[in-house]
Amino acid sequence: MSESKIAKLHEMLVSKEISCKELTKQYIDAIEKDNEALNAYVTATPETALETAGKVDEKIAKGENIGLLEGIPMTLKDNISTDGIKTTCCSKILEDYVPIYDATVWNILKNQNAVLLGKTNMDEFAMGSSCETSYFGGAKNPHNVNHVAGGSSGGVASAVGGNLAVYGLGSDTGGSIRQPASFCGIVGLKPTYGAVSRYGLIAYASSFDQIGPITTSVEDTAIVFDAVSQYDEKDSTSQGRKGEPVTATLKNDIKGMKIGIAREYLDGVRDDVKEAIDKAAAVYQSLGAEIVYFDLPALKYALPVYYILACAEASSNLGRYDGIRYGYKADSYFDVNDMIKKTRSNGFGDEVKKRILLGTYVLSSGYYDAYYKKAQNLRGTIVNAFQNAFNVCDVILAPTVPMTAFENGHAVSDPIETYLTDICTVPVNIAGLPGVSVPCGYNSKGMPIGMQLIGNTFGEAKILNAAWQYENAADIFKPTDFGVQL
Amino acid sequence: MVSKEEIMKIAILSKLFVGEDEIDGLTEDMDKIIAFADTINNASDEGTDFDNINNLSNVLREDEVIPSYDREKILANAKDSDDGCFLVKNIMK
Repeated sequence: MSESKIAKLHEMLVSKEISCKELTKQYIDAIEKDNEALNAYVTATPETALETAGKVDEKIAKGENIGLLEGIPMTLKDNISTDGIKTTCCSKILEDYVPIYDATVWNILKNQNAVLLGKTNMDEFAMGSSCETSYFGGAKNPHNVNHVAGGSSGGVASAVGGNLAVYGLGSDTGGSIRQPASFCGIVGLKPTYGAVSRYGLIAYASSFDQIGPITTSVEDTAIVFDAVSQYDEKDSTSQGRKGEPVTATLKNDIKGMKIGIAREYLDGVRDDVKEAIDKAAAVYQSLGAEIVYFDLPALKYALPVYYILACAEASSNLGRYDGIRYGYKADSYFDVNDMIKKTRSNGFGDEVKKRILLGTYVLSSGYYDAYYKKAQNLRGTIVNAFQNAFNVCDVILAPTVPMTAFENGHAVSDPIETYLTDICTVPVNIAGLPGVSVPCGYNSKGMPIGMQLIGNTFGEAKILNAAWQYENAADIFKPTDFGVQL
Repeated sequence: MVSKEEIMKIAILSKLFVGEDEIDGLTEDMDKIIAFADTINNASDEGTDFDNINNLSNVLREDEVIPSYDREKILANAKDSDDGCFLVKNIMK
């Protein structure tokens, strides 16, 4: 089964089986060796990693207690601000941008002496489902490098699945944590909107964005979530975690838990994925949970609602890139307006430009009511539909993605076909709910299949409890040959 | 159908240039994307008023003066600065 890597390494550090510097060096060497194949990291930070490791070793040598995340090598998606370390969003427009402050999540982990190995690859401004819109080229899948790692947090998933980091933090606007976790055969949690601070996360769509962990086990996801889910006055939508740490109830019995399956989630899903979900439902029954089938017809609006609202918010959020205060600036221009236009046109990639244009279109005079207002109202319908669903079940079981990881280059061809792959993940962001992706099988080519457990608002404890019980009973996780073999 | 003219108008609002070589491909893609977005207008459901996720309310606090970031550090990210300010071409003549 997939045990907690964090707990195991913590024991090894405390018992002095390995020093933090030795451990960190192993990861730094592995990145040097395997990053060429995986393209997971866009910036490596070996010096700061070793400096932090040195501090942890000193504490251990003095006999001081260390925290669970102290000295554990990890990574951050390259849209999470790091003071003094480049944060590019994998865009030409931020290619050389160095933040002057830390995102709150990084501030929390830095204060616990987390060892940051570097910043990881992503779709440009988190817009994409394959990591291939990255200015630096896409991250590859550690189960087969001819396939994508997924997106947008493809770099974190590739690094964690490829053992080039113990855990990572990604961001999820329409599935960007869960989908790459599913493609790479690992665990990814999109927390409830407001559970984790967004301060310092470079915005894509502010009413959808959430930061969350990507790890190789449910227990590690719970440990990292407990650490970062704190109220933050710097984020006006922050609420922090409600209730006790999720690790406290992680291994509880789930007898009698009602697990709902909405039929609409299985429409258009590939057979191998559907089969894996059926098997997962059977595992839950064997654990004493009850499977409840129900309808969620509002799901049919989810994708267009998501793309309209997320692009509308993106067109506003990305208005700030003008070349004046930071980032890329066009070389020659005749006035300020020309400079801004040239900067944006040369600095943004095609997918980002398309989403800005769509967002501007749906917000523009004459189209606002038909698109933005209507989508916002249907968002309300979807929120209510989920609330009703949680009257008949405790958690919802669904596929994470209707298919397994695409081959490289496949996703860039048809825009709508690519958007359709987000069908199972976007409803959670629309309704602000928590969702976790857990590996639940492999297709005939050995590519991982993921399932999603969706909870009610601030219901992380329940979905992670259900996820842990499944992981423990089904024993699906397969490590890859890349990176550090513990 | 979305016209080339509409895409050009939206591009101006978005402060983006769309080149002659890009406009046909872009119009085709945008047409597909907008047709897809348009499916919500076939919904019989009018929806419900919605402007807030997870019952958030406004967070208010006293306006206090607190230390901010160092000016030099802020300006270090700008391509052009002068005398402690961001530098741009004349906006008014």
